[in-house]
Amino acid sequence: MIKEGSINGCLAGKILRANLSNKKIWTEPTAKYAEKTLGGRGINSFIMINEIHLGTKWHDPENLLCFGVGSLVGTMAPGACRVDISTISVFSGGKGSANVGGFWGAELKYAGFDNIIIEGKSEEPVYLYINNDNIELRDASLIWGKTIFETENILRRKLGDKNIEIASIGPAGENRVRGSAIIIDSAKAAGGSGVGCVMGDKKLKAIVVRGHGKIEVADPKRFMKEVKKCYQQCGNEPNAVMMRKAGLNKYSDPDYEGWNTNIVVKNGQDDQWEKEKRISLMNAKTGVPNMQKGVRACYSCPIGCIPFMEINKGKYKGTKGEGFWINTIMGHACRFDISDPESVVKSWLLTNELGLDGDYVAAGLSWVFELYEKGIITKKNTDGLELTFGNGDALNILIKKLAYREGIGDLLADGMIEAAHKISHNSDYYLIQVKGQPSLEPFRIPKGWSLAVSTSPVAGRHLRGATMGSNRYGPRPRPGDFNITDYRNQAKGVVWQGKTKELEDNLGICNYVGTWSGANFLTLDNFVELINSSMGLTLTKEELMDHYAVIGRNLEKAFNTLHTNLSRNDDLPPRRFIDEEVKSGPYKGFRIDEDKYNKMLDEYYELWGWDKKTGMQTRTGLEQLGLKRIAEKLAEYGKLIS
Amino acid sequence: MKISINIDLCCGCKTCQLVCSFHHTKAFWPDKSSINISRNPQNGVVEWSINSTCDGCKGEDIPLCIKYCVYGALGLFKEGRKEKKL
Repeated sequence: MIKEGSINGCLAGKILRANLSNKKIWTEPTAKYAEKTLGGRGINSFIMINEIHLGTKWHDPENLLCFGVGSLVGTMAPGACRVDISTISVFSGGKGSANVGGFWGAELKYAGFDNIIIEGKSEEPVYLYINNDNIELRDASLIWGKTIFETENILRRKLGDKNIEIASIGPAGENRVRGSAIIIDSAKAAGGSGVGCVMGDKKLKAIVVRGHGKIEVADPKRFMKEVKKCYQQCGNEPNAVMMRKAGLNKYSDPDYEGWNTNIVVKNGQDDQWEKEKRISLMNAKTGVPNMQKGVRACYSCPIGCIPFMEINKGKYKGTKGEGFWINTIMGHACRFDISDPESVVKSWLLTNELGLDGDYVAAGLSWVFELYEKGIITKKNTDGLELTFGNGDALNILIKKLAYREGIGDLLADGMIEAAHKISHNSDYYLIQVKGQPSLEPFRIPKGWSLAVSTSPVAGRHLRGATMGSNRYGPRPRPGDFNITDYRNQAKGVVWQGKTKELEDNLGICNYVGTWSGANFLTLDNFVELINSSMGLTLTKEELMDHYAVIGRNLEKAFNTLHTNLSRNDDLPPRRFIDEEVKSGPYKGFRIDEDKYNKMLDEYYELWGWDKKTGMQTRTGLEQLGLKRIAEKLAEYGKLIS
Repeated sequence: MKISINIDLCCGCKTCQLVCSFHHTKAFWPDKSSINISRNPQNGVVEWSINSTCDGCKGEDIPLCIKYCVYGALGLFKEGRKEKKL
């Protein structure tokens, strides 16, 4: 365990705090939190649970918007670039968190700060300017109303420095559209939980950072020895090499198994997409790969997974930008049944430019398309738009309407659940959401994925434990023990993956460079050595996994328990996937078996040390982690198993 | 021969800048690096330059920037282009 005052490397040392209501700015030392959590998201979670009073809503000035740069960010630890952005989720009312890469986090550490905690609410639009110790809240009237691209360009020009790093919101966030993202570096989106909506509500347009300082590690020689080893592992990993050469991943192959297991079509009507559409979208010569002009990487990343895209024909010709992901395929193509590659790429780049979460757009707006198909809404409600599945142009218009709250966009901007109440006619049944957040994810076929998404503390996202296969993920059970469509042996993998993600978000290591993507990327042994050599600690793998990772998850769980009425029922997949079967393809007939899912859920709760019956935390469990005060708080509200 | 870049292969990860600063200072300190990189994610342009403080990584087998560039963009070239527009 980390002893008080024993961290002697890696941290910038200070947490920057700013109150937007009274414009006060102050700092506090990072170490007191980092010793309990290892940094990053852990610090955000501790501050949120300690300081946000019960009953606080996402739009109250008392809500905190917390930026947490991982403790290894700024060093050469591979993939150490990530920033956690936590706040009250606009969807669940509980813990919201989004994670983003790029260069902003490292720049903040060079400026001397590990975290930024924003409180209060400004009356007029402002941006936060940080240049080492020169920290100011500045008038943002020049950039208010501008897109992400315009905002970044204006700020760089005005400040005369093209190396400043910017985290900003677009028109969507300003207009308090629920699924708004905070965009870093023009293209890297902190998308989940509506963090951009909270930033817009606080009238904070951007955080601009320039840092001139250094990050030192405890034992430079030992640290660099491990860094070298990690670079060799990751740099030569077949998946990484393939990613750099082929760019757009395995989905370029229409027979890739992921097309069968991980796709949701037409807002959840089926989990199988026709082969000719896969080819139309991803054909090397005429599809999306043909629009990839290069590969880009985040800070200190040995993989380089970002395609730089340029649309080279059709009405969207000339549109450029970073990013096209598996989520783009799952979301903006399959979910809307759009196989026209130009429309799909355009819609994804548009979400970045307007500051929307691409996953939210996919899950939320494909629901609107289905309502149109079913006649629950008509052209009268859609400002004349024909929202028929496959209509990529209509999607692109609808995205703009959402961001600017125009016409039907205004109806949808306050959240899809709110819109479902207004639309009525059983429309809520078709909305695929978990704990209030529309969810893009597959549920019926990959059962571990389904469990991870349904139980995610940040509502309906896959990064908190989703697993796909024994060849790539988790504690790697023996061959034959593991089948992604089976309910057995899934919980263990989900909890393992969830724990490693906790560590990664504290350290700021990208999940992709970390444990998620491949057996030969970073391992827990690498984590241990990187942490100990850089921070001057003597932690073991067991301490990381059984203590620090578990603390991270328990902090978020406790926040949710205290601030919401979420219960075991909210950890079930959306009703539609229990009721309706997959209609075609090799997994035809698959749906969630509620009894089997519940057994998997029992196992999952037990592995985290929670009460099997209710999913609630226990006094013993929390006290073992040194979280006695949190146990007492839960007990005070009758939300703890003694 | 000098350290130069094939900008077509550069992903803009700034690892070369970072390891260079480590060579000079035993800390991670981009301001003290001999290498400067700027990226424009909107148009895909990456600019890379190296200044006169570069000592070719005295004491190392090969310059660290080359050693850690997993993308193979850096090498000892006769001459290099500084910018590529996509």
